[in-house]
Amino acid sequence: MAPWSRMPEHWRTRLPLLLVTALVATWCVIAGLSERGHQRQRLREVVTQAEILAESVGAALVFDDREAARTALSALRANPEIESAGVYDASSALAASFAIEGQAPPNVAGALPTPGAARGRVAAVAPVTVDGERVGTVYLRSRPEPFWALAGRLSGLVVLLVMGSLLLAVIGRANAALRTRAEDLDEANRRLTQEMAEREKAEDALRQSQKMEAVGRLTGGIAHDFNNLLMVASSGLDLLDRTKDPVRREKLKNGIRQAVDRGASLTRQMLAFSRRAPLKPEVVDLTARLEGVRVLLERGLGENVGVELNIPEGVWPVEIDPGQLDVALLNIAVNARDAMPRGGRVTVTAENRPIGADGLDVEHVRLAVADEGEGIAPELLHKVFEPFFTTKGVGKGTGLGLSQVYGFARSSAGDVRIESEPGVGTTVSLLLPRTRKPLPVATAAPAVPLPRARGRILLVEDDDNVAALVQELMAELGYEVERAPEAESGLKKLERADRYEMVFSDMVMPGRMDGMALARTIAERWPDLPVLLTTGYSEAAAAALAEGFRVLPKPYRLEALAAELAAAREGRARPDPEQHAAPAA
Amino acid sequence: MRREGRTGVRTAGRLAAAALALCAFAGQGAHAQQRPLEYPVKAAFLHKFGAFVGWPSAALGPASEPMTVCVVGPDPFGPALDQAVRGQKVGGRSLRVERHRTVSRGAGCHILYLRGSSAQSVADGLAVTAGAPVLTVTDAADGNARGVIHFVVVGGRVRFEIDDRAAARNGLTVSSKLLSLAVHVRPRER
Repeated sequence: MAPWSRMPEHWRTRLPLLLVTALVATWCVIAGLSERGHQRQRLREVVTQAEILAESVGAALVFDDREAARTALSALRANPEIESAGVYDASSALAASFAIEGQAPPNVAGALPTPGAARGRVAAVAPVTVDGERVGTVYLRSRPEPFWALAGRLSGLVVLLVMGSLLLAVIGRANAALRTRAEDLDEANRRLTQEMAEREKAEDALRQSQKMEAVGRLTGGIAHDFNNLLMVASSGLDLLDRTKDPVRREKLKNGIRQAVDRGASLTRQMLAFSRRAPLKPEVVDLTARLEGVRVLLERGLGENVGVELNIPEGVWPVEIDPGQLDVALLNIAVNARDAMPRGGRVTVTAENRPIGADGLDVEHVRLAVADEGEGIAPELLHKVFEPFFTTKGVGKGTGLGLSQVYGFARSSAGDVRIESEPGVGTTVSLLLPRTRKPLPVATAAPAVPLPRARGRILLVEDDDNVAALVQELMAELGYEVERAPEAESGLKKLERADRYEMVFSDMVMPGRMDGMALARTIAERWPDLPVLLTTGYSEAAAAALAEGFRVLPKPYRLEALAAELAAAREGRARPDPEQHAAPAA
Repeated sequence: MRREGRTGVRTAGRLAAAALALCAFAGQGAHAQQRPLEYPVKAAFLHKFGAFVGWPSAALGPASEPMTVCVVGPDPFGPALDQAVRGQKVGGRSLRVERHRTVSRGAGCHILYLRGSSAQSVADGLAVTAGAPVLTVTDAADGNARGVIHFVVVGGRVRFEIDDRAAARNGLTVSSKLLSLAVHVRPRER
């Protein structure tokens, strides 16, 4: 079959036809040869008959005994092969003749009929000799061979031909069927792939909407939290102006710093959270990860809900999509908050579980979120993971929350359990299988000491306040900074003088050219000039990273700015984009 | 088939012979009434018998010797016989025609047409040559005495009867082909 499949397509189509043609041709040759042999044999038989007849009519001719000649001829009647016969004397005059009914006797006009084969008849002449002298001639003609005799003779060959043709036809058809099936299979596979892609797209969209739903549900709490943080910063600054006591000033500065850090951490979480990203499992240390989610939970759930994290050291690593874990925890936590209208406590616990526990046949980590809420009625308990199931009033919930939790657990090869006792509380447990894969090596933190840097930097930033601050930060690091308020004027500055060592540009700016276009132009015209982009928009950052540009996400600390500027100057390899988008622990 | 045919021929031959005998008895010596072609046909037949009859090799002599056809008694053939044998050969031998008044045992005839005359009747001629390697030919027109071959006329055609017994007595073999043409055959003794 291998040579067959290697054969070009048009050969495969033509081969059975060629084979049939060859078969028929061979058959014709064999049949022709066989038929010729048979005709020769018939001629020999007729000649022999004629010779026997000649031998027996010799005396009759010599003694002109026509009756004897006729008697000899009539003996031929017994032979069904013979159609007609004639006996001629020495002067070629017909002495006696014989013909079966319906057939003319041989020529009587004096001239002897010619021997040979014609229209299926075989004719032969034999000289009649007596004592070495020719005394006459005998002519004998066979009957035309009936069709059934020919058919009978050729039937064996015909059967062979038919069988051969059938065989080839069957092979041809089987081949065609195989080809059709292969094509069908290809088509089915193509459709399947397409459907899978569509489904994946739909699932992505669902995940994204689930995330946005969770964010939406958190927004109120987060806005409230931000107000608190801004309140801390604002009042801190007010107080800073009214005191000269260095100890007190230091305390106030720390308070402001903490509030700002918290806000930054919160927005980073939110951005990371709402970022559209494909499902990407990685090995996760739950202890570290949950510490990162704590901020979101604490701020998101509101003031009258306490959050308690009980994650012991040594919890096994699991292989999950960390973003989806965050969303799942938030979904469970928001449900818990909603179940406790008068406030209460949400406890998150993690626990290593052996094979067989919780009905799972693998080692796993049980991550449980327990509340002290009103609980769920037992008859509704099995429904809560269904999409669009909700106990909440219209406009309060979509019913997608717990279905995301279920989807996340299943796609992580784990499971989810829910236990509830009305009036006591509900516990939702994520069962995540343990992984033996190693944790990713933590990337080295940027060096703490900040060496003095030198060089001229072109800063392209449209916001005056931000520009002033960044100029300060850069000057603090030792750089000489010149600012351009938008991309076009930045380009003009670059054209005027080739004395900048680096360009640091915001991405989203008014004007015809944004930061990305600027970076592209620079890469084209001054390929040796390093460019560092910065933005608070995660989408824009992702787009720039995708094009291979270096991006520093906003907001950033002085250390991060120093490290990125240094790295950009040295032309170091662009770091993993995930590092930027990942929330700081 | 062939045997049946021969039997049929023989039966017919016997009847014909009987009729001929009656005829001959009634019209003795009525030669003048016979058909003009009868004797040329007989003349042609005479030497042709030679091709179907076997002689003892001693009787024929060396291969260069001709075969002798003798007519004993008044010659009915005239020049027809000489014309018939001219250029003909039997067994590679040329033919010679001799005419005699009488025949003796050592006359050297191979084919002997006996007419009979006052000098020697047909029966006498046959008696003289009995046992000698001579193919004796007699004619129903000349009486009832029969040699090995006896001409008869059947249906206006010249036919013959064969006495195979007499042939055997004379040391001759007659071909079955010739026997099959005879209107009557007297088989040789077993």
